[in-house]
Amino acid sequence: MDEIDIRLSVNGEPVHGRAEARKTLADFLREDGGLTGTHLACEHGVCGACTVLLDGEAVRSCLLFAVQAEGSEVTTVEGLSPPDGTLSPVQEAFWENHGLQCGFCTPGFVVSVTAFLRRNPDPTDEEIREGLSGNLCRCTGYQGIVRAVRAAARASA
Amino acid sequence: MTESPQRAAPSAPAAPATGATGAPSAIGRLVGQRVRRKEDPRLLTGHGRYLDDVVLPGMLHAHFLRSDVARARITRIDTTAARAAEGVVAVLTAADLNPHLVGDMHGTLSPDNPGPLLPLAEHDVRHVGDPVALIVASNRYLAEDAAELVEVEYETLPPVVDMEQALSSDDIVVHAELSDNLCSRMEEPIDDELRRIFDTAPYVITETVLQHRYLPVPMETRGVIAVWDRHTGQLEIRISTQSPHDVRTTAGRITGVPEHQIRVIMGDVGGGFGQKAYVARDEQVVILAAHKLGRAVKWVEDRHENLVAATHSRTERVTVTLAADESGQLLGAHIDHLDDAGAYPVMGSGGAGAFVVMMFSGPYRLPKLAYRTTSVYTNTCTRAPYRGPWQAETLAREQVMDVLAHRIGIDPVELRRRNVVHRSELPYTMPGGMPIAEVSPEETLDQAMTMIDHPGFRVEQARALDTGRCLGLGIGLYIEPQPGMGPYGSEPAQIRMQPDGHVAVYLGSGSHGQGLETTTAQIVAEHLGIEPEDVSVHQGDTDATPYAFGTGGSRSGPILGAAVRQTALVAREKILAIAAHLLEASPDDLDIDGGVIAVAGTPAISVSLAQVAMTAYLNPAGLPPGMDAGLDFSSRYQAPPFMFSNACHACTVEVDPVTGTVTILRYVVSEDCGVMINPNIVEGQIDGGVVQGIGGVLYEHFVYDGDGNPLTTTFLDYLLPTAAEVPEIEHGHIETPAMTPGGYKGVGEGGAIGAPAAVVNAVADALRALGVESLSQPLGPARIVAAIEAAR
Amino acid sequence: MKPSRFRYHRPGTIADAVGLLAEHGEDAKPLAGGQSLVALLALRLTSFEHLVDLNRIPELQGVSTDEQGDEQGAVTIGAMTRQSAVERSGDVARLVPLLARAVPFIGHFQIRNRGTIGGSIAHADPASELPAVALALDARVLATSTAGTRTVPASDLFSSTWTTTLEPGEILTGVTFPVWGPRSGFAVEELARRRGDFAIAGTVCGIRLDAAGLIDRAAIALMGMGDTPVRCHAAEALLVGSAPDSAEPAAVAAEAIDATEPPDDIHAPASYRRRVGAHLVARALASSIREAVHG
Repeated sequence: MDEIDIRLSVNGEPVHGRAEARKTLADFLREDGGLTGTHLACEHGVCGACTVLLDGEAVRSCLLFAVQAEGSEVTTVEGLSPPDGTLSPVQEAFWENHGLQCGFCTPGFVVSVTAFLRRNPDPTDEEIREGLSGNLCRCTGYQGIVRAVRAAARASA
Repeated sequence: MTESPQRAAPSAPAAPATGATGAPSAIGRLVGQRVRRKEDPRLLTGHGRYLDDVVLPGMLHAHFLRSDVARARITRIDTTAARAAEGVVAVLTAADLNPHLVGDMHGTLSPDNPGPLLPLAEHDVRHVGDPVALIVASNRYLAEDAAELVEVEYETLPPVVDMEQALSSDDIVVHAELSDNLCSRMEEPIDDELRRIFDTAPYVITETVLQHRYLPVPMETRGVIAVWDRHTGQLEIRISTQSPHDVRTTAGRITGVPEHQIRVIMGDVGGGFGQKAYVARDEQVVILAAHKLGRAVKWVEDRHENLVAATHSRTERVTVTLAADESGQLLGAHIDHLDDAGAYPVMGSGGAGAFVVMMFSGPYRLPKLAYRTTSVYTNTCTRAPYRGPWQAETLAREQVMDVLAHRIGIDPVELRRRNVVHRSELPYTMPGGMPIAEVSPEETLDQAMTMIDHPGFRVEQARALDTGRCLGLGIGLYIEPQPGMGPYGSEPAQIRMQPDGHVAVYLGSGSHGQGLETTTAQIVAEHLGIEPEDVSVHQGDTDATPYAFGTGGSRSGPILGAAVRQTALVAREKILAIAAHLLEASPDDLDIDGGVIAVAGTPAISVSLAQVAMTAYLNPAGLPPGMDAGLDFSSRYQAPPFMFSNACHACTVEVDPVTGTVTILRYVVSEDCGVMINPNIVEGQIDGGVVQGIGGVLYEHFVYDGDGNPLTTTFLDYLLPTAAEVPEIEHGHIETPAMTPGGYKGVGEGGAIGAPAAVVNAVADALRALGVESLSQPLGPARIVAAIEAAR
Repeated sequence: MKPSRFRYHRPGTIADAVGLLAEHGEDAKPLAGGQSLVALLALRLTSFEHLVDLNRIPELQGVSTDEQGDEQGAVTIGAMTRQSAVERSGDVARLVPLLARAVPFIGHFQIRNRGTIGGSIAHADPASELPAVALALDARVLATSTAGTRTVPASDLFSSTWTTTLEPGEILTGVTFPVWGPRSGFAVEELARRRGDFAIAGTVCGIRLDAAGLIDRAAIALMGMGDTPVRCHAAEALLVGSAPDSAEPAAVAAEAIDATEPPDDIHAPASYRRRVGAHLVARALASSIREAVHG
């Protein structure tokens, strides 16, 4: 097996692993990084459950090879809450607004929404729905999720 | 009385969430409130524990090699190269694994399933996705590499892919062991009286309603880790499931390991919707493989497999003949229902034909019903229950009611008003013999029509038509049963108060998004005068939890809720008896508030729950004479054979007559699930079901070609709705309490029952002005355009 | 769904990249944004012995402008420039508005954060936006191999579904979009099953007026209507030379669709694509003309 040395920073901490070039960033984070909050629900770039921030931008980690993230800063859902164990404003808004049920799609939404609101802090309802359209959910019908994004936007206004 | 050591006081009350629609329906301090969920902090921060998150020492990874043809003889299979591949520990075919099976693989609840079922395909394959070999290797990447090295040769045979063809012809029989493709049939023919009605009624219409193939698609695919330790004789299974105890029973049956030596652990589950309510063939293969190999073996299904080879649903046809008098009152009906069981259906025929028939009259008075319901095998994927598995009855009934209304020349709302069972007529016995009571279909119809402004919409619809815009209104009015027979009828709850006054609850359920930790904690905390944070809820470990059949059939609210409530009340009674003894007061004078039991009106005379618990466990001499020590409680609630909830779904749409695209303008639900434990959770369950229904009608369609090859094998082609495709869903609540303790009724499946009817009817209503008389799913834009063109 | 094994290469220059492609020939594939390729690899619908990662080559990034007055200008975009960067580029919005308007239709923002301008054009999906925009605007593509660099007009680039005329060993290194200048109007109209999906049928259009107010340039390109993006020269000819208010968008649209052979697939039959295509072209033309006239 041809393994490559991979070094990146995840949630501000250095992560060093050895993996084949074909190992996706999602699998690397889950296995070598021990961070199982990033979930795999399709592995072909449609559902968004695997969303992480790569150098601050939201990307599908199932469509990246770990080796491609060499030297980059990756933020996973685990890295969004403050170190004292409280919730980020986006996470708090999801909690308040019943924005999750089974929770499997939730990390992908939380990361995507965090990135979305950073670029678009005062979105219209239509912009919210468009901004959410890259993440799939089967439990909530998106109702609580849309409310959560509205609330998170209002809270940081 | 001994001094109790300092314990953390039960925490201060948490503010109930106000984020969802409307004011809290205030039943109690906690029950009825929009309490934030206990599950959420760990799930929001990425600290849930789903199946694929679990890593065990020495764990191997499994991957299935599956048939890529729908029907064929296996003429050669050679695993030599695969077995020699890097990282491979075993490559198992039917010859290697099937002899290891010692019991029946059919579901625990379907002992009469006539179809064959083996672990791996033996001499032939019967659908694309049929598992032919299991590769076990040190990681999934290597297992997939090895799969490509397995050499399989097929002699292909023509498959039967269409259920009507499977029904009408014996030329191609799916299972060579059987003489035809009939999986099940139930029939009550038209009798003389109904024949006379059909011959003489002022209105007799016949409509065929179709429903296409679509799937549950939970966001977490299926997965299992099985570990067999021959030294301890213990079989340990971790699995993404809705029914942990059934997994244990099934695992014991197929491996021969006695159940008391099997432990099943269910962690967080990423959705199920029925797909994970039974132990799948694939999961059983992995358990057998682990048992045979004496290793820990993990299998996580990928999305391609989940779409092609997990479970399919909804493929049905209902031909309805409906007779009515001059005013549109229903006189009688005949339904001919057909569903596609696939090659290896589960739960009997996999569908719910009997329920389709039983529920067909729904909320209306229907004096006579005759029927035939049939399930047939085809060379397609397994049919299994999916949220509201019998919902074709609501689809068919509600579609045909609209057709009847237009034939008569009255508004479909008016026709429903003329036929709906009034509260004063309850209990009403449906034509199949099932009595319905404690339901409110008329009230929900009224509320939904007020919410959606039915009269105002008709004006708007007419005005829009003048400018060439097609608007439509559709209704789905239904009654939803919660079965309480057989294993579904009993639900346990165990409550233990710890010496420090906090409480642990043990349930047999398999929560997969319904928030059972939260609703359970609300009920217990309500009755014990504490906060939800003071209650821990445990489910999913069969070593620790009492036997139950899992989560499904919308049972958790009514049956589990009742079990928890009744157990909590027993606990409260004993706690108050001990406190009364300690305080030398009467139990009737005592209240529990904030974890402190005091004489009402005299807060100085009080004792804490911790003190009561310490007495019960560590100083039984301080208990009332004759009372047993301890504060553990266990009871089972036995549900009535059926309970019913009900709702009215109504939506308005605009259909673009050029492109056929459908925009949902408004969607309202007026629902009655009795007493709500947590309105957020009730509404959330409805919302999820509604969007699955919208998805099914407008977007989701699993397609096979004529050779049984699946064409929609990824999310690029099997389309799930996103937030951009769905409307804001508006809720109205009617509350008709159940006769059961607490008055809770089920709500989990209703959205998926009412929504398809409401959406199809709305589109049909919009297109009627263009001359479209009859419309069936799926309703993607190209098919809508085809219907418009055909009507020209 | 895990990909097959491959050797991974991360060149830092264009020269190194094309050197690797020359060395490994058919066994090598360039990796751009990966939003299409990695999914295909995961599904094992394709596999390569070597992947040449283009994501760390600075020469391939960036938007540069060459404004030589109203009608001579051009905007050149490095092939590995992210779609999201193009979406945010003020220069692109100002100078190549059709491109700026088309990019937001591509997938979702997470896709656009990795997807690239060059990657999307080289992938040549007939239902995607950027090949149609390149075709409509008469863009020119730069293609480099170990043999040197050549310029390929977009009209010569797309030969079949997912197939361009790029030679083996060539990578697309940049795309130059001509600036249409003032008195121009543009529109993107597409019909997709869901927000962000590939178009079932769609169009990008441009209209420009000369100093006398007559249409002197018209571009109609179609998505999802063939095995490549389709340019409708015959239909455009009906517009050139005419006054904006005598243009008949519906008639021009019918002409544009008439020459096409759209696919039949599980999402739509050919007849549906023709119907919707005509509707969208008419709407896009009307809107482009309006913008060209009124600004």
